[in-house]
Formats: sequence, structure tokens, C-alpha cells
Amino acid sequence: MDLSSYLPILLLITMAVVFAVANISLTLALGPSRQGPVKGTTYESGMDPFGTARKRFNVRFYLIAMVFLVFDIEIIFLYPWAVAFPNLQAGTTESWVWLGRILFFLLTTVVAYVYGYRKGVFRFD
Amino acid sequence: MSAILAQADYPALMSAPTLFHYLVVSAFMFGLGLVGFLTRRNLIIMFLCTELMFQAAGLALVAFSRFHLNHTGETFVIFVLTVAAAEAAMALALVVLLFRRKETLDAERWEEMRG
Amino acid sequence: MIQKIQSLWPEIVLFATACVVMVVGISPSVAVRRSCGVIAGLGLALAGLVAIDWPGPASSVVWPALAPYVKVLVAGVGVLLLLVLAGLPDREYEAAVAHGQRYDPIRANRAEFYAFFLFSIMGVMLVSGAEDLIWLFLALELTSLPTYIMVAISSSRNRSLEAGVKYFFLGALGAALFLYGFALLYGATGSTNLETIRQVIAQQRLGSEAVNGVALAGALLAVIGVGFKIAAVPMHFYTADVYQGAASPVTAFLAFVPKTAGFVALILLLTTIGWGYGPSGQSLPEPIRTVLWVIAAMTMTVGNVLAVVQSSVKRVLAYSSIAHSGYMLVGLVAGPGPAGAPFARNGIAAILFYLLCYGVMNLGAFAVMASLERRSRSGATEEADSIDDLRGLCTTRPMLGWIMVVSAVGLLGMPPLLGFFGKLPLFTSGIGAGEIPLVVVLGINSAIAAYYYLRLAALALLEDPDVTPVGGGLSENAPPGRKFAGFICAAAVIGLSALAWPLINLADGAAKYEPRLTPGSAVSAREAPIVPSADALTEPRAASGRP
Repeated sequence: MDLSSYLPILLLITMAVVFAVANISLTLALGPSRQGPVKGTTYESGMDPFGTARKRFNVRFYLIAMVFLVFDIEIIFLYPWAVAFPNLQAGTTESWVWLGRILFFLLTTVVAYVYGYRKGVFRFD
Repeated sequence: MSAILAQADYPALMSAPTLFHYLVVSAFMFGLGLVGFLTRRNLIIMFLCTELMFQAAGLALVAFSRFHLNHTGETFVIFVLTVAAAEAAMALALVVLLFRRKETLDAERWEEMRG
Repeated sequence: MIQKIQSLWPEIVLFATACVVMVVGISPSVAVRRSCGVIAGLGLALAGLVAIDWPGPASSVVWPALAPYVKVLVAGVGVLLLLVLAGLPDREYEAAVAHGQRYDPIRANRAEFYAFFLFSIMGVMLVSGAEDLIWLFLALELTSLPTYIMVAISSSRNRSLEAGVKYFFLGALGAALFLYGFALLYGATGSTNLETIRQVIAQQRLGSEAVNGVALAGALLAVIGVGFKIAAVPMHFYTADVYQGAASPVTAFLAFVPKTAGFVALILLLTTIGWGYGPSGQSLPEPIRTVLWVIAAMTMTVGNVLAVVQSSVKRVLAYSSIAHSGYMLVGLVAGPGPAGAPFARNGIAAILFYLLCYGVMNLGAFAVMASLERRSRSGATEEADSIDDLRGLCTTRPMLGWIMVVSAVGLLGMPPLLGFFGKLPLFTSGIGAGEIPLVVVLGINSAIAAYYYLRLAALALLEDPDVTPVGGGLSENAPPGRKFAGFICAAAVIGLSALAWPLINLADGAAKYEPRLTPGSAVSAREAPIVPSADALTEPRAASGRP
């Protein structure tokens, strides 16, 4: 079995591991190490944890999750398009039609965005 | 590149999973979802069960797509995922609204309408 | 591709309108907000006109004229529905805003309501033009998903929300069922194109009477799943609760739009199997025919028997809606008959015509219910729903009363009215297809239905008005569009019966059945999908990997 084509993946994994390990070890080696009451809090320089984890969140987080979902799903459709598009002859009618299709598709997201904006989804007051 | 796709030697090993195996798993998932939907009374669990059924269909589509050696089934799965996401958004919205009003997600506790 | 887009102009118009409505409807200015109902109506009317003028190329090879008919039908009834729906969303919230409350777009539902209405109608149009399983799946979901939200936001009562949740969950179950059915159909034939599926199934069958088992199972699952949309029996449980829980205008919408989508989808799906089996060579394969037969008989009977015992008008109409689905399923069992069959034999034409009749008659009845409000003892207004609310309606409110009488008698199928002309072809096509027992069941059910429809009519026409009503009695504060729509429907129930034959010809033209088997047309027939044949596994076929 020809494994040579998996080489980029191996390289990627190696890079990820080396980057992570190097970061942690460099921090341990070079960084200053102090202890104190503030340092010992759960989220250093973050919010104070209070109450139980089962407390209710503001429903606005739900809206943010929905906006995320829109873009998340949008991305799925871009992949197959991006895979197929380079195979088209540049400058032909077909390639312009393909470009038009994806632009129309993105336009629908713009409509969703305008709607969400006017609805006040992105206002945090 | 086409060597990696390896479509030609798909059923080469006897131990390799075949279409049949995928379909059995898919049917099990679908059955579990159906039974769960009909027996559970918590709305979130019921929703997860319908989601399980959707993914069962997705698995069957991908398996069939591999079997028929065309990409139609895989394309279908992308759209199924989209619809599943839309349904998830909708289900959560309805469930959150219902919970805010009633403080319970038990389907047995709907007293407003009785047959 | 360009040709396909030409057939999609009505949908494109609706989509553009829905986008505009969605943004306009959350405008901070009241006047601008109010215009979005009008915009939606104009867009819908324009879509209908485009569908008439510019039908585009035939999308389905087998049903060349089906899509334009359905598009025009759904746009026409859609305009009437919109008249009934107008003024429903945000009624209480707008009143609060008028009293000085600050307008917050996130609390308002108007834009979503009208946009979802348009999206749902667009879904039906897309169903009618479907030529692919993926397309069909998306279109069916586009029809249903907005309706769940429309039910939930139709009123501020808990009951509407519960109805929405119930509708959503059973709808998701139905969607999962037909999606699995679609997956099996794809697996059995290797294509999601409806025409290719039909050709493959027909070729697999050559030489043997049996249909490919996987395709059969897929079609059965799909039929049961789509049965949710038409409230056919195994999936009918939600109907009464949801119809009662939703506000009356939305109930009218539910009774027509998803049902139309469901029947058109069923026609397209069963076409892939084809009506070419049985001793006469004009019925469905035996397993599917039996299942549909049982579903039809059960749906009619369950709907009618349960409708008799209800005391809420909306529940009566909900169960009668189930029953009417059962009637229309008879046309599906009967099938289109031999090529060039007359209208009387063509069950599909009967369904298409009956959808028109049912839409108009049913909307009339719901328009009356939507126009009436009752003031409860506590002083709050609620929908008139009790069957006693109809008592003496012809005396107190003659117009609403007579609309109710005409609609009820029309739904019953009394000879001079539209309902009769709708039901007659269902009988004749059933008889023509040799489904005599089913036609007998249909007849018995029509007799049972007479009881509760006549009760609705007689309460309004003959009884004295309730002198001492519970609570504060009826009021009529609803927007005038509802009464107007009801009047148009009642007029149509009477007037269209005079035009019945031209309309029947239209439906007949839409149900022109042209099944052809083109041998060897880009499709290689394989015997069974599960048994892998050597070349199917080794030979990469169309679209299997670019270089």
C-alpha cells in the first residue's frame, strides 16, 4: 500500500504535537512562577465563579448559537463548491454560472444577517 | 490521487465492512430512535431520538453512495445535515419557550388539550 | 439548468418577497410594518400570475402539466388564506405598543409570520416541480418547518405553543421516516432522480412481476412519512390537538398547504413505482396497494367517527380534514388509469380537483370561526370554538351564518355545490379501477360525515340564538379581511360548481399521465441492489471522482 500520500498528514500531526509540547515546555522553562491568592482562583483574571453550573443562562446566548449555526452550515456547502470550481475552464460561461450560484447562495446569508441585525440579535445591552 | 480513493478494491478483504454491515447499523440506529421517540417523555430526549433517525438515514445514504460509486448520496447527506440543523434550532427555540412558560419538559404534563 | 430556472419564476418571486417582508416587518415604524402583509399578498398574486403566464418547461416527464396547476392552485388559495391570516400576528403586542410601550423587534412576530407563510407556499410549489429526491426532501421540509413556528406564534396562549411543539415533534418523526424511505429508494436504484428511479424500477421488473424489495420498503416508509403531512392514519394523532391549539386562521392554513404538498409528493413518489401492476396492469404493486387501501379506509373511518363526538368546531373540522385525506387517498389507490383515460377514470386528476374544492370549502368554514370571538367571564377575549357558538348564527350574523352553512353543506358533498363535483370523480375513478370495496367504504363514510356537517349547518340555520350565553357572548372584532375571504369562498363553493367542467378539464390536463420506458437510457438495470455484481463494484460510474 502506498503510504507516501499520507505524508502531509503525518507532517501536520508532527507540527501540531511539536508546537504544543514546545509551547508548554518553553513556558515552564522561561516563564516566571509566582503563587498568590489571585493566581489560585479558578479563572485567573476572569470572572468569579459563583453559583452552581446548572444555573440558567441568558436566552441571548441561544440567539448567538443560532447565528453561529447559520454560518456553520453555510460552510458545508462551500467545500464541495470549492473542490469542483478549480476544475472549470477559466472565463467560460459555465464558470461564471458557477460563480453566480455561489454568490447567490452567499446573498441568502446576507439577507439572514440583515434580518438578524435589525432584529437586534447583535445588540448586547 | 485516484489510487487513494481506492474504489476498485473496495470489497477486497473478507473482514472489511460491506454495505450489509452499514445497513444493519443504520437500521439499528433508526429503530433505536423510533423506539426512543415513542417511549420517552422528555422533549429533549425525544428530539435526540428524531436526530438519531435522521443520522441513521444519513449513514444509509453514505453507504449506498459508496456502493453505487456515485456522489449523489453524499450530496444528499449534506442537505440532510442542513435540515437537521434547522430542525435543531427550531426544536431548541420551542423547548426553551415551553420551559420558560411551564418549567417542565415532560410531555405528559400538557394539560391544556385533552382529546 | 437554465430551463429549470425558467420553471422556477414563481418560487423566485416568492423568495424575493419573503426576504423583503422579513426585513420590512421589523421596521420601527408602524406604517412600514403594517405594509408587509400587503407586500406578501402582492408577491403571492404575482407568483400566481407568473405561474399562469410562464409555466416553463415540464419538470416531470411523467406529469408534464402537474407543476403549473399546483402552483396556480396554491397561489390562488394562498391569497385567500392570507386575507384570513392578515392581522393575526402581534395583535396584542401592537396594541401595547400603541399604548406607549417601546417597540422591540425581538418581541414582535409579524415579519417571521408572513415570511414563513410565503416560504411554506414556496415549499409546496417546489414540491410540485420536484424531479429529484433531494429536491423533494428539501421542498417538503421547507413546507413544514415554517408551519411549526406559525402554529407556536399564532397566539399568545400556552395552548398554541403546546400545539406547535407537538406538531414539530411528530413532524420531525414523519420527516425521519420519509427520509429513510428516500435513502432506501436511492439504495435500490442508485439514483435520486425521480425519472431515473422510475426507469430503473421498471427495468428491474422486466421479466418478473415482483418489484425490488428495497425500493418497495423505501416507498412504503416514504408513504407513511409523507402521510404526516396529509394527516393519514398512522400519523394523524397530532391533528385534532394542533388544529385546536393553533389560532383559527393558521388552522385553515394547516388544513390546506401541507396537505397539498403531501398529496403532490405522494403522487410523485408513487409514480416512481408506477401504476402498472395487478391483474388489470393499472394498479400499484400489491403490498403498496394493500397498505394504501388500509390507510385510506382507516383514515376516512377514524376521521369521520371521531368527528361525530366532538363539541369543538375546530376539532370537528380537524377530524373532517383527516377524513377528506382518506377520500383523496382513494384517488391515489385508483391511479391514473390507462394512458388517455377519461377524467372519470383518472384518480390523480380527481385528487388535484378535490384539493381545489377542499381548499375553498374548508377555508370558508375556518374564516367564519376566525371572524368570531367570545368574551369569557373574566373579560378576556378568546376564540369562538364551541359548537354552541354557531347556534342561530344565520339570525344574529347572517353573512357569517350563511358562509358556514354553504361551506358545511359543500364539505358534505351535496349535489349542487362544489363538494359534490369534487367527490364524484373519486367515486368513479375508484369504480373504474375495480376498487369496489373501497368505494363502498367511501360511501358509508360520506353518510357518517353528513351527520356532523348537517349539525353544523342546522345549528347555524335552524336553531334559535343562545339567549343567555356563557360569558359575555360573541363579538366580531376580527379584521374584515376574514369575512371577505369567507364570502369569496362561499361564493366559490356555489359559483365554481357552475364552472366545474372547465376546472375539471384543467385538473385533467394537469394529471396527464405519460409513462414511457426508454430502454437503455443512461441507466443500467441491475437485478437486485444488495447482491453486488462485479461490474457495479469495480467500474466507477458517473461522477465518481474527478482526476
